[in-house]
Parts: sequence; structure tokens; C-alpha cells
Amino acid sequence: MLPLSLLKTAQGHPMLVELKNGETYNGHLVNCDTWMNIHLREVICTSKDGDRFWRMPECYIRGNTIKYLRVPDEVIDKVQEETSKSRSDRKPPGVGRGGRGRGDIGAKPGGRGIGRGQDDGGRGSGGRGRGGVGGKGGNKGGGRGRG
Amino acid sequence: MASGGPALESLVDQVISVITNDGRNIVGTLRGFDQATNIILDESHERVYSTKEGVQQLVLGLYIIRGDNISVVGEVDEDLDARLDLSKLRAHPLKPVIH
Amino acid sequence: MAGRKETALDLAKFVDKGVQVKLTGGRQVTGTLKGYDQLLNLVLDEAVEYEREQDDPLKLSGKTRQLGLIVCRGTAVMLVSPTDGTDEIANPFLADGA
Repeated sequence: MLPLSLLKTAQGHPMLVELKNGETYNGHLVNCDTWMNIHLREVICTSKDGDRFWRMPECYIRGNTIKYLRVPDEVIDKVQEETSKSRSDRKPPGVGRGGRGRGDIGAKPGGRGIGRGQDDGGRGSGGRGRGGVGGKGGNKGGGRGRG
Repeated sequence: MASGGPALESLVDQVISVITNDGRNIVGTLRGFDQATNIILDESHERVYSTKEGVQQLVLGLYIIRGDNISVVGEVDEDLDARLDLSKLRAHPLKPVIH
Repeated sequence: MAGRKETALDLAKFVDKGVQVKLTGGRQVTGTLKGYDQLLNLVLDEAVEYEREQDDPLKLSGKTRQLGLIVCRGTAVMLVSPTDGTDEIANPFLADGA
């Protein structure tokens, strides 16, 4: 699966974009192109240190300034629906190596739950997807000062 | 141009560890990539290293990481990894890449 | 591949409107968009640069600099957004999580 296909599929979904300068943008993806340029609507911009916030109706971001994009988990399944018609060689989801199913890795010793189920829960209650970027600004900027 | 093309293909649907230019370590399942080494990481989490406490794991979920921002992609031995006791692991955080 | 066209955003609707532009290197400018091309070169009228703190380039100093009529080189443009409806707000994520 191509990253840009996933991004295309994510149109209309909320997402978080972190730029190379450390600023993050939360908004709904309106459009994207082959350069990863993206157009977001109903955007909240968070400064690098996570202590200032701006609301903007929309914004256009040049692809090459992006560090990463966080997209809702369910989007990947939608891509598979579209591509499975053309690619029959894909393994069904969850039948990866070792037969370890989704959401199972949370059982690792010493690790916090990292399964899909738990992640969804976290997101619903303002996890990192929405709350995290700003809400845990201290954790992010102050903790390590990276970005 | 064929930047790691065949090499990454063999890692699809496997757990990989990515070190980004800003010094983060992100572990997740590789679902896809392209010529620019942009990658799709599914069920990903960040491992935050510290000398004072054990490794913190932050749930990230589904990520697209831009190739520009990737320093290292490594294969993860899942069995070996599962045996790690991250809570006892101490390490310095990585510094960001300086261009 | 509907996104094949070069730009994901149609700048036409911003013409003669206020836009905020962030440039690589950290400069931040607002102005009235008078023109643009497919490479994202922009013509801004009555442009104002928002200066940053000298010792902490992350922070805006609150000082501004009048630039007048300028061209922003497309390759340096990181972000374009309308000034209309753009406001600084309190942490929206705290309320969300609580």
C-alpha cells in the first residue's frame, strides 16, 4: 500500500499533521496531491512547545514541510477494501507474522496497552490524537525538547 | 532512486523500528512505503527513553511518516522484543539529526 | 487519482483576501493576496512580517515590520491560510480531555 493512497483515502477524516518545525495541525483533510501537499479544514494549530493555539478555518500545507501525519486507524481498512479488488495477494488484516492478532501486543510485559482497541478508547476520551498534542504539551515539549 | 525499495518490501506487514531525524523511536507494523521512503506504520507506538525511568511507550496508532524525516528503519525480532522488560531499560534520549 | 493536479488547494478564492503565509526558516507574513502561480509564488500587498524573539525564534515578539508589496518565493512557502477567521485561542485540548 502506498502512503499517498492511504492519505487520499483519509480525505474527509480528521488528522494530525506535525511539521518539521514542530508545529502541529489538527484538522479534517479536504484534499491532497502527489506531492503530499495537503488542504485542511477546521484547523487547530499548536505551537512547537505546545503552549499556544490558533484556530483557522482552513490551511494549505506544503508536503515537504511535513514530518508525519497521524490518521484514524479505521482509514487503513478502507484502503484495503479499495485495493483488495486489484491486489489479491494481500494477506487479510490481523493474519500477519506469527498469527498475532490486532490489539494483542498490549499484553507485553512492561508495556502500556498498545492494542487497537485500547487506542480507540484513548482517542475517544481525548487521547493523544486530539488531547495529546496540546494537552500533553508539557510532556512533549518540556519533557525532551525535541522536534 | 531505488532507495531501499526491495529491502523494505521484505519488511511489509512486519514490525519495524524507525528512528526519525528528530530522535524519536517509533515501533509499528510496516503497511506500505514508496520511492521517497515515506512509510505507513500501523499500530505504532513511540518509545521514549530516559536515564531516570524505564522506557515509556506512547500509543500513536496509524502514522504516515515522511521519508525526509526518517534516519533508520530496522527489522524487529518480535519474540526477542517481547522478552524485553522496557520498564527496566534506561537510555539517553537520542539527539535530533543536525543537517 | 483525482489529486493528480499539482495543487491541493485552489488559491483563487483567496485573491484580494487576507492570507497568512509561513515560510521555511520561520518567517511569518500576512498580506492581501494579489496573485499567485502554480509554483506557489505569491504576490502579497500591504504585507506585514511578524517578527520573532531574537533569542527564542519560536516566540513571536509581537513586533511587526511593514513590507509593502512583496513576492513570496513558492519554494519557501510552507503554509497558507486565510487571516479571516484565524484567531489565537485557549488550549482547546484540555477541555476536550476533561
